[in-house]
Amino acid sequence: MLGSTIINHRQHVGLQKLSALAEITRSSLGPNKNYKFIQDDTTGESTLVCSCFRILESLELTCSVGQVVYETIETHHRVYNTGSGCLLFLAGAWSHAALECLHRGISVRHIISAMSEGMEICLNVCRQCSISIKRREVSELCPFNVSTVKDSHAHQQLTPRASERPFNLGPQKKLKLSRHFRESESPSISTIHASQLCSYEPFFPDIAHIAETLSHGCTDAMNLVVKASQMQSECNQQDIAFDVTKVVTCVLPGLVEEQATVLPGCVVLVPAEQASVAHHLKEQHLKVALIHGDLAATYRHLGYNRPKGIQSVSDRLDLSRLSKEDTWMEKVVTLLLNLEVNVILVSGVASEKVIECCWRRNILVVEKVKASILKAFAVSTGAIPVTYATQLSKHCVGTGLKVSIWRDLSNNDRKRGTAVNITTDGLNCGLVTVILTSSVHAKLQTLEDQFWACAYRLHWALKDKALLPGAGVTEMVCIQHLQNEAEHDIRNPTESNGVSSQQNKPRTPANPYRDVVLTLMADGLKDYICTVMVNTGVFSKVGARAAVIQHLQDYHGTVGDVAAKFSQLFLHTDTCYNATPTSVESSETPAIKTYDNLCVKQEVWRKALDLVFLVLQTDAEVITGVDRKTNGAQEDLMFL
Amino acid sequence: MSRVVKKSPSVCTDLPLDNTDICNKLSLLKQLLISCFGPAGRLKQIHNNIGGRVISTSTSSVLLSALSSSQPFINLIRTSVLNHVSRFNDCGLFTAILCLTLLEQAKQSGLRRNVSIIVNKHLLGLCTSYLQGQNCGCKVKLDFCSSQYFITLAFSVISSKPACVLTEPEALHISKLAVQAFLLTVPCNNTGVARLGKTLTVCVEGHPVLDSAVFPGLLVDMPDIFFLNAENLHGRSLCTVLFSASLAGDLCELGDGNIELHGDADTDSQILDQLLELGKQVVQDGVNLFVCQKVIHPVLQQYLRGQSVTVIERLGISLMESLSQLAGAQPVATLHTRIPPKAYGKVKELTIKQFGSKTMLHIHPSGESAICTMILCHRNDTMLSELKVVCQKTEHVLRLTLREPCALMGGGCTETHLAAYIRNKKTHCLGIFCCSQTEYLLGAEGFCRSLESVAAALDHKCGNSLTDLTHAHYWTLPADVVEDHMENSLGVCGCGLVESCPSKKWTYLNTKYPEFSPAPVSKGTHLQVRVLDSFTSKLSGLQVAVETANLALDVQYIIQDTN
Repeated sequence: MLGSTIINHRQHVGLQKLSALAEITRSSLGPNKNYKFIQDDTTGESTLVCSCFRILESLELTCSVGQVVYETIETHHRVYNTGSGCLLFLAGAWSHAALECLHRGISVRHIISAMSEGMEICLNVCRQCSISIKRREVSELCPFNVSTVKDSHAHQQLTPRASERPFNLGPQKKLKLSRHFRESESPSISTIHASQLCSYEPFFPDIAHIAETLSHGCTDAMNLVVKASQMQSECNQQDIAFDVTKVVTCVLPGLVEEQATVLPGCVVLVPAEQASVAHHLKEQHLKVALIHGDLAATYRHLGYNRPKGIQSVSDRLDLSRLSKEDTWMEKVVTLLLNLEVNVILVSGVASEKVIECCWRRNILVVEKVKASILKAFAVSTGAIPVTYATQLSKHCVGTGLKVSIWRDLSNNDRKRGTAVNITTDGLNCGLVTVILTSSVHAKLQTLEDQFWACAYRLHWALKDKALLPGAGVTEMVCIQHLQNEAEHDIRNPTESNGVSSQQNKPRTPANPYRDVVLTLMADGLKDYICTVMVNTGVFSKVGARAAVIQHLQDYHGTVGDVAAKFSQLFLHTDTCYNATPTSVESSETPAIKTYDNLCVKQEVWRKALDLVFLVLQTDAEVITGVDRKTNGAQEDLMFL
Repeated sequence: MSRVVKKSPSVCTDLPLDNTDICNKLSLLKQLLISCFGPAGRLKQIHNNIGGRVISTSTSSVLLSALSSSQPFINLIRTSVLNHVSRFNDCGLFTAILCLTLLEQAKQSGLRRNVSIIVNKHLLGLCTSYLQGQNCGCKVKLDFCSSQYFITLAFSVISSKPACVLTEPEALHISKLAVQAFLLTVPCNNTGVARLGKTLTVCVEGHPVLDSAVFPGLLVDMPDIFFLNAENLHGRSLCTVLFSASLAGDLCELGDGNIELHGDADTDSQILDQLLELGKQVVQDGVNLFVCQKVIHPVLQQYLRGQSVTVIERLGISLMESLSQLAGAQPVATLHTRIPPKAYGKVKELTIKQFGSKTMLHIHPSGESAICTMILCHRNDTMLSELKVVCQKTEHVLRLTLREPCALMGGGCTETHLAAYIRNKKTHCLGIFCCSQTEYLLGAEGFCRSLESVAAALDHKCGNSLTDLTHAHYWTLPADVVEDHMENSLGVCGCGLVESCPSKKWTYLNTKYPEFSPAPVSKGTHLQVRVLDSFTSKLSGLQVAVETANLALDVQYIIQDTN
């Protein structure tokens, strides 16, 4: 059985739903985010959420538009970890614009073609506004090792075009690759002073500075990111400034937030008995075995089908015989002792018996280790992960592992009592663990989200090798471009509509409503900027709007200026949410102190518009599996 | 105690086409499908009301599979169209809309059913022979020396599905990829039996469409990439063995029934020994790539890796066939016998490719293999799943050109052209039926109108549908245009091959116009055709639509068992 609803055209219900949904993200835009309680009336449970993604995750959206929205946000969040709020807000703002267009009788085709054009304009603005950070972080580009001398005071010496040179130049193969690395002699390439670079481009001395501009109000979280990246580059040979895939978080409730820190290697929580083993093993070079699966006699690898209908028979009664599990255990323990394994990292769980048995022989068993951690230790210790402990052999065992007790938390929780830090000595794998703490349990999720948002912002910035002016500046330029285009249409209606252009492009007749649609799209962005301004707490709703409009009028027609001056307007709000306003560099660095990610912004905008297009073009829902008897009363359903 | 439930009697519906309920449902279905038709069509959100996945689509194959009805009569038409779609993958909406319109027209004309059936059948024959004939005016011969027509054909299919949400450059990129993939699957060697290859599609969500790409060979998802030893992969030919049997080391082939086993017997280790024996043989035979469709026992994997053999497990049945074609290897179905030498195959090299979060192993063919992999990227899952369906459709459409190397003019032009042809032709073949002249003309008018209304269904802007009086192509006039400026606002026709000029005359569709023989477009035109339809699938769609309509007209009773 099947029903279908026809969505009324002029009052497109789907678009209304989308713009209503977007309202929930209004307060979570910008640096000052408000917490929200989401309470489940049936169970009485409640959660404290802060980001748009978590809000959507906690809501049970049953309508089809809601599900499409959630699906989009979820995918975006999984890949980018930042920008979900902006995505939903703009989807709402632009669906509002599309609704307005429908009200004015503009056809869907015209709305889509004009909005796509508007999007092209905005994406172009992003490309033009982006500021390269390439010169400072060329190191990322370098695929080979160059013998380098590390010089921590080298930031005055920069090579201007290292990245643009082909790497395989014969006589010029001595390249200077970043501020961190300087060759002892580089006769072929002249060096220039950083001050010279400063004169024509904003200056990013290092990752810490880039990170600071991307913190978006989460200074503490970003400090942890910077610490992690510093720790990675210290113990890293491969010249990668920040590898987000080798960062893991460990959340510890019950400690005050200031105790959050970054440790090399990984941190695991072990019960008290295991902690004593860790105590015993600290300060030693240890051997490690990695088990990919469970550590138990009955465990079988994935895809193994246990035979059904097998009965065991025996010709004699042998009570003294060991059980299968005991034989297995004996075999494994002997093997472990022979191989002198001290630590076993298990991705699954280990049976109680094994843990106890190992504990007595001072072997530390760590359960539920993430696959990524296992992988990192496999690389750094030379261990080869195996599925069954019986598979272990000499070349599977890794060496050079170190264990230390980070903190004893046993008064909180007997089961997960002690935080043990596992690292590799010497050459490290670049794996770092960020410990996030809070005395308020409900806040931990938010702290973790904030950390990952910051980490990914830095990650994408380094990957893009470019940044976008933040704090609404890019949006402001977009608004101006969109409005200019719209005005151009109004001033020269014949040019785009007339006969002459049609002969050139016979298939795409000019869009008569382009100016209206572009203006409405710009209004959506205005709404975004105003909301962010209101959320900073400095502006009232009216005040923010007035300031934005005033600013656009003041700098009417001069595209370049609007950016710089607007950032000044925003600047006094900037200091409000940056807990530690930069004091030292503020005289040297340009006025803009907040930056955004290029690729993230572009993707967010495109995805927001995609959502609007998907919903806008939908005119009916087809609901499968509807029973006529139960749903027959619903008048808006038609049955097929 | 058992209870006897009285069976309720079967429900019999007399003359289903006269039944109001069925007619309402038919017109609802028609409305639903028409609104999906063409590049400006509207999407439908399909979901199950209890929070299942939402699909946004306007593709007939997805839509019709979801639209099951309680009414067998509706399902009759639906199944018939779905059957066409499963064979040709294209023109599903065209078929369904034409069929439903034919039914409606037959009802409106008030003709006796058998008269309608005879007339429809005759006109279908007229259409088919015209389309297949040499002097067909709406057909384009495809030239295999240039990819232009193929890209146009692919572009027409891809851009006709708005749920993919593609910009024009993106749609063009995907069209080019589709053609590239198609060309890669056509084998070049002339010797022996030529066998078309296969395109495998891998979807990567969350990445820009322009990152999509086509590679010759196979790309296999490798979640455990870290087991791969990069040194083993580089540029040398690899001896390959494929297993279709499970190497998990379990007793899966036992079947039902109980087995008694001695307590000391360890079946697991015995099977494992056998697996290792197999491993030894494979290593002796110099195998470098060991692939299993199902699971491989970890111990065997460890052994093989220790012997620097690259191991791939859980390949899945869909990739298995392609890989065996690529490597020229025969999948081994048992582990109990020695592997015959001819079962081994060869691949050129293995490389690692990264697409977003996916790490994939690229298996390069050693010779020419006609197997290729298409990586499709899109920003979200809804659009990606539609894109995948559309790409498969495009592949099929391109393949059909090998059977019949021509295409029909798209954008509604073929339909109006055919209608004009029949209007002109019908007067020449009067008096060959067992029906009166008036009846015949009435039936033919209904047939032509049905064809024209399929063309008109492409327009969703409430504009006006026109046809010109020379070539009988399809044109649309925006609703807000005054008739004086008609030739300025018309631009080009639906397929893009005819340009408006002051000497041209138009008429609104579904109005009476003087009969004329539609002229083919002169070869000298400087315009490029912009929309092409698949010849084979449109022809079949036409036949299926008319035959289904005739069948439906022929139904006297519907007997439904309600128990």
